[in-house]
Amino acid sequence: MLRLSLTTFREHRRLFAGAIVAVALGVALLQSSLLVMAAIADAKIPPGLSGQARERLRDSYAGAATLLGMTVLLAAFLALFIVSSTFAFTVAQRRRQLALLRLAGGSRPQLLGLLLSEALLLGTAGTATGVLAGVPATWAQSWSLVALGFLPGGFSPHLDGGIMLGSACTGLVVALLGVLAAARRAAAVRPLEALRDTGRAARVMTVSRWFFGTSSLAVTVWMVWVGQASEVLGAIVIALGVSVIGAVALSLLSPLAVPLASRLLGPVLRSSTLGELAQANLRDAVRRSASTAAPLIVLVALVLGLTGTLDSLAAMVGEEQRRIVAGDLVADSTGAVAARIAQVPGVAVASVQSTVPISVTGRHRRAGRTYRRTLYSGIVAVDPSSYRRTHRPAPRAGSLDRLHGRTIAVAPGQSEEGWRLGGTVTARVGGQRMRLRIVALLPPTLENGADNFLVPRELIPAAVAARAPAQTVIQVAPGTDPAAVAGRLRAAGVGTVRTPARWADDRAAAEERANMAIFAVLMGLGGLYAAVAVVNAVVIAGAERTAEFAVARVTGLSRSQVVRMALIEASAVTAIGLALGGLVAAGALAGIGAAGVRAVGVPLIAVPWTPLLLLVPGAFLITGATSVWSTLSATRRQPVTLVTARE
Amino acid sequence: MMVEQTRPGEMIRLAVELRGVTREYGPGQARVRALDGVHLGFPAGSWTAVMGPSGSGKSTLLHCAAGLEKVSGGRVLLLGRDITSAPDGVLTVLRRRTVGFIFQSFNLIGSLSAEQNVALPLRLAGSRVSRKDVRDVLAAVGLGDRLAHRPRELSGGQQQRVAIARAMVTRPEVLFADEPTGALDSTSARTVLGLMRGLVDAGGQTIVMVTHDPAAAASADAVVFLSDGRVVDRLVRPSVGAVADRLARLEG
Ligand SMILES: Nc1ncnc2c1ncn2[C@@H]1O[C@H](COP(=O)(O)OP(=O)(O)OP(=O)(O)O)[C@@H](O)[C@H]1O
Ligand SMILES: [Mg+2]
Repeated sequence: MLRLSLTTFREHRRLFAGAIVAVALGVALLQSSLLVMAAIADAKIPPGLSGQARERLRDSYAGAATLLGMTVLLAAFLALFIVSSTFAFTVAQRRRQLALLRLAGGSRPQLLGLLLSEALLLGTAGTATGVLAGVPATWAQSWSLVALGFLPGGFSPHLDGGIMLGSACTGLVVALLGVLAAARRAAAVRPLEALRDTGRAARVMTVSRWFFGTSSLAVTVWMVWVGQASEVLGAIVIALGVSVIGAVALSLLSPLAVPLASRLLGPVLRSSTLGELAQANLRDAVRRSASTAAPLIVLVALVLGLTGTLDSLAAMVGEEQRRIVAGDLVADSTGAVAARIAQVPGVAVASVQSTVPISVTGRHRRAGRTYRRTLYSGIVAVDPSSYRRTHRPAPRAGSLDRLHGRTIAVAPGQSEEGWRLGGTVTARVGGQRMRLRIVALLPPTLENGADNFLVPRELIPAAVAARAPAQTVIQVAPGTDPAAVAGRLRAAGVGTVRTPARWADDRAAAEERANMAIFAVLMGLGGLYAAVAVVNAVVIAGAERTAEFAVARVTGLSRSQVVRMALIEASAVTAIGLALGGLVAAGALAGIGAAGVRAVGVPLIAVPWTPLLLLVPGAFLITGATSVWSTLSATRRQPVTLVTARE
Repeated sequence: MMVEQTRPGEMIRLAVELRGVTREYGPGQARVRALDGVHLGFPAGSWTAVMGPSGSGKSTLLHCAAGLEKVSGGRVLLLGRDITSAPDGVLTVLRRRTVGFIFQSFNLIGSLSAEQNVALPLRLAGSRVSRKDVRDVLAAVGLGDRLAHRPRELSGGQQQRVAIARAMVTRPEVLFADEPTGALDSTSARTVLGLMRGLVDAGGQTIVMVTHDPAAAASADAVVFLSDGRVVDRLVRPSVGAVADRLARLEG
């Protein structure tokens, strides 16, 4: 059986190339991610760092580890997805050959064995490539994590035999798991099918496909509906859910959705004979068009849905900040410079907020348990009365009026962490420890990394406050032109001065950049896999159509006409895949829009233009180029030799 | 040799026996009755041709007799054993040792060489494959010098001879053939028919062959004629002229 599978493997090597690449990519990514994660786990925090720097380093290690964890999961899932769809496709295509084996006396277990040994060969080839490619991938990955700011410079992972062995085994397991469903279907092939072209070979929508497709579609529709009435955070969770489950639903139902969508393209396609032929092919070869469209649907839905959701959230953060801050100007400077702002003519109120290097330790309750925790970042010294005049929301408990002496207020960043009014925390200011009483709880905001605590300015030694970075919200005197005051402030050299609107927009943009850094890695990865899957589907389809193309040429089509026909088909399928993916993303963002109306009064939907402008031409380029290449190579031989060839 | 309507007490040993076999396709209104109460026996060690107009049920009869297709009514006996509702495992074993197939499309595995194609049923059955046996069989069909060729590198007649060699190597007791000469020129067809004659005379094997060609049918020991799924006529030790005559009457 192994010898037979070796022969069939060699015969179908082009069909398996995509799956080999997918396994190799998966193994390489798994290995490099695990190596980098192991290095992070071993990494020592260098001695002599300040508390703030240590917290920042620890946060960035945790962020990198989370990102790598997601990378590993995504890589394993996508490798499994591609291997299983490749095998499903080749089994469908080789039904006749498998039926012939049954006719010659092959039993069901033998067919199962044949496919499993093919998967083993494929897995071995992919794994070997992946383990080798994983070594440079490790360096590339840690370099890009450093470049994106997730890891400190000078970070370097080292190779580990155990991890490499583990990744190799995972590669083989993925290949074998991927083939299981297809192998079961192959074993159900009846010997009579060798003599006929009809029968179950024509069936694409299997029972399980129907079941999982329609049920995830129902869940998606339900979520879009619920999303219309939920709060911002709920809407975000729902939007992410809609993107993922909707993508799965439409890709499972793509054998139904793609022909339906191709009917809409009908008027465009029917304008030429080749286009008409291409449309007929689209409707007829459902399996082929569906397996090209499915990875595109998944990619577009995920990328547009996820980035659209996060960018919309960033836009809402900007809008919210604009509403919170009641001022005419916002200035960024050091504490020492900020102290001069109030003296500038035309300034009525100047609320200086300095981010100070102190630590706060205390017990807080979460999910019924109490934790002791020390925070170093987001601790801001304020003057309570001017802070109150320049920030609209009132505390949800307590009052900022009482923020005097040994007291502290819980700011939006810690608002939902279970701190209690009247409780005490220990602050470390310079070398001194003091107990502070919690006198106010501010309401939460949408912002990620908002301030954690407010302390009264008088607690902070003047020298410390002078060195700390400060942000000052300014109200100008009635009847004064803010622009003139801004000019005067700039002339006085008090750092950057912006209008609150500008400042809020910059804040949204910064939030968006932080999202992009994470998503650049994951989306790049997803895009790579989608490209492999699409190229794979187009190549397999091209190889499968050798005889069909030969017949078309014998009928009178020139080689270039055949190539153009296939290109039209590939482009139409690409357009359909992109449109269906866009539909899912639109469903995901609909809820965000509704939540935006409720939260900030306007439907803030950020259309993710950058990924969109990369995806659309990229998809057409990849499918088009692959289609032309595979059609050319499928039509290389003289058509007559193919028309007469018989299995 | 005779093809007999089976009666109780029949003495001739039958390799394949159909008892009131009916086969219907399609649901409700679109129902087609491809076989309609066929009683037929194929004596062991004989060669029977099945003829009839297109769509008369010849291929269906062959598939049902070989256990490739389940019947809608009646019983099928292969070498005295009822295979009407035999499970897949039993049928697989039968295909390995007892029955063989030759078809109009040659049904060779494209990725395997002629030699590998011939050895395939033995390898699937897990028996030791003697290269000598395989080569002898291929030499016997005149392909001793084409062992390493893939099917696409062989002519139609040569591909069909490989298929026959594959059916010869396992020495199946019953060989089912559906238009084995349908795609061949008359010289290749004569070679193939000669080889089949050898299987029956020298090997004592049983052949059931569907054909449209009176000359091919005349090589057989007997001919049965089908029309609309029923056995309507039969001929023993047929001549080309007599077969063509009956056929013309049926189709006319
Ligand atoms: N799988 C099927 N589904 C539905 N009808 C079928 C099927 N197979 C055969 N038939 C019908 O059964 C009848 C007999 O078909 P069969 O293939 O046995 O004819 P045949 O005698 O072999 O014809 P030919 O000489 O053209 O090969 C035909 O009317 C055909 O349409
Ligand atoms: Mg037929």
